Amino acid sequence: MLEIKNLHVKLAEEDRVILDGLTLSVPKGEVHAIMGPNGSGKSTLAYVIAGRDGYEVTDGDILWNGESILDMEPDERAAKGVFLAFQYPMEIPGVAGLTFLRTAVNSVRKKRGKPELSTPDFLKLARERAGKLKIQMDMLKRPVNVGFSGGEKKRSEILQMALLEPSLCVLDETDSGLDIDALRIVADGVNALRGPDRAMLVITHYQRLLNHIVPDRVHVLAHGKIQRSGGKELALELEKSGYAEYSGKAA
Amino acid sequence: MNVVVSKTKAEQQLAEQFEARAARLPGAGWVREARRKAIGAFAAFGLPSRRSEAWRYSDLRARWKQVFAAAALDPGTFDPALIDAALGPELAKLDCIRMLFVNGTFLRAEMPASEAPGEAYRFDPLSSCLGQPSADWMRPIFQRPARSSEDAALTLNTAFMSDGAVLAVLEGKTPARPLHLVFLTAGEAPASSVMRNLIEVRKGASAVILETHVAMGTAPCHTNSATEIRLHEAARVEHIRLVREGPAAMHLGTLTASIGANARYQAFQLALDSGFVRNGLNVAFDGPGGRFDLAAVMLAGKGEHIDTTLVVEHKLPGCTSRELVKAVLGPASQGVFQGKVIVAEDAQKSDGKQMAQALLLAEDAEFDSKPELEIYADDVICGHGSTAAQIDEELLFYCQSRGIPRQAARALLIEAFVGEALDKIDNDEIRAAVGAIATDWLNAGKV
Repeated sequence: MLEIKNLHVKLAEEDRVILDGLTLSVPKGEVHAIMGPNGSGKSTLAYVIAGRDGYEVTDGDILWNGESILDMEPDERAAKGVFLAFQYPMEIPGVAGLTFLRTAVNSVRKKRGKPELSTPDFLKLARERAGKLKIQMDMLKRPVNVGFSGGEKKRSEILQMALLEPSLCVLDETDSGLDIDALRIVADGVNALRGPDRAMLVITHYQRLLNHIVPDRVHVLAHGKIQRSGGKELALELEKSGYAEYSGKAA
Repeated sequence: MNVVVSKTKAEQQLAEQFEARAARLPGAGWVREARRKAIGAFAAFGLPSRRSEAWRYSDLRARWKQVFAAAALDPGTFDPALIDAALGPELAKLDCIRMLFVNGTFLRAEMPASEAPGEAYRFDPLSSCLGQPSADWMRPIFQRPARSSEDAALTLNTAFMSDGAVLAVLEGKTPARPLHLVFLTAGEAPASSVMRNLIEVRKGASAVILETHVAMGTAPCHTNSATEIRLHEAARVEHIRLVREGPAAMHLGTLTASIGANARYQAFQLALDSGFVRNGLNVAFDGPGGRFDLAAVMLAGKGEHIDTTLVVEHKLPGCTSRELVKAVLGPASQGVFQGKVIVAEDAQKSDGKQMAQALLLAEDAEFDSKPELEIYADDVICGHGSTAAQIDEELLFYCQSRGIPRQAARALLIEAFVGEALDKIDNDEIRAAVGAIATDWLNAGKV
């Protein structure tokens, strides 16, 4: 279970407050969507859960399975099951995709007390999971994400997710830059990972993705906190009325 | 008006050392004369200081405090069984023909029983050649006049050279294995060694030459190693050079290459675990359609200094030159790359590209990059690029968010950075060996 309690976050270098008392719970087995206008703090929330530098938590806490993760390094959080699918996945020139994936998978397995996968075993697993996401093995021999289209990068993020077997998946605007077909493949990939032991936080700007990844709860994030929560119908309502109602509201 | 510049202690000691040793250095007649002339030129020009453009980032005159006695080959000072240990497992296990030099003196050649020496190549130690009349062909090399203090390393090399490899790869031949020139320094006392290699790869011949400079112990050593390499028409050479002589080492390396028509010279250099290294390269195209590639990896730990200075002359049309330099710089270290490309007026269709990149791993690491293009022809493609940066924090976060711990992520990214240059080594076994050496260094926590 993910519990975010009264989280206050500001930028480390400036006095700008991004999250202003955000409270949210995502139980295991559920998919929650976070929607909101630009600049509302959606990506900041994703980054703070994953443990990126540059932010300062001035109040509140983030608990994953009852344990505060705020003092943990990003790789420790990954070992605990946190996975962030980046909005703009990074290119790593000089590091072959398969090498990167194998290193990540074995780092996480080691921390979880599992034996590391041999290269042949890993390749077998990678081939199987990549196939489901329509990713050719040839693409994975290239350096990580180098020369990949936007859609290919997003599918590559979902492949990483499938291989690392996280229990908390945070998807940061996974649908941005995707055409209908790519969107379907990504959504299918995400849906295949839904399960009773997995919590998912889907951050999105547009309702469209939520037709494919149907959420259990929808939250509106504006002015640094959750303004409203509801069922999946809330997403359709927002589609109709827009965020104007929330942009004007005082924090 | 003559300005008398007072000599430094090292400059005086070098002159004194020459007087004391000249009579016992190999070669008489014109060789002795050439040595005399060289030391005379050195006396006139002195060591290069930072006022000398080619040495402005590596002030040899200020740095060279003490001249060490010449290293001696005393079989008692080293255990042959330790040679493999000094080379390290990766290089020791290579299937190659080894020419072993210890403290600047040829010891022996080692090769598998199946190897037929003399069939594809000829090797002689320089010390035995210098006394012979047949060494006449070397005259133009050793009688080459010094131009200024910038040539000090080569000038001193001519004056003091004690031994080296005289190697010829015969016309149309390809040795079955790489030729490994191993230069080891052994002994407990600080010592200096001066070696000169003369390599000729004849028409249509091809060879893989590995040149390793390694210290067996921790005693400070000064090495002055100069190699002249000449590629005849359509010759192909892959030349991998490795310097690893210890934190108190001073290594002056000078490579003079001439590349014949349609010949290809592929050079790779790795310098690591050495206090001060200056690798100078002077490359000239002797015939049209030649190609020169250089990939250099400079790994500088705490306080170390590595300088790669290159001059490539396109005198004839249709030649191609490519240089890729990667420097990984630790605390208080300095990496230098000076790359000069000269394209003569008639050298149309010259194609020259240079890229120098540094990874600065500490606040006080320094990278000096000085590309120079002197272009006199009008139908050429020449370019250069240079970057100096720290490790991308975003990339580190990306790797960590996938479960890779920070230190491992750092190592992965640095390896990727260096890998681009390592990939330029064609020979699979040598590439794997050099890659392992670089990886071990990166994982040893020196940066």
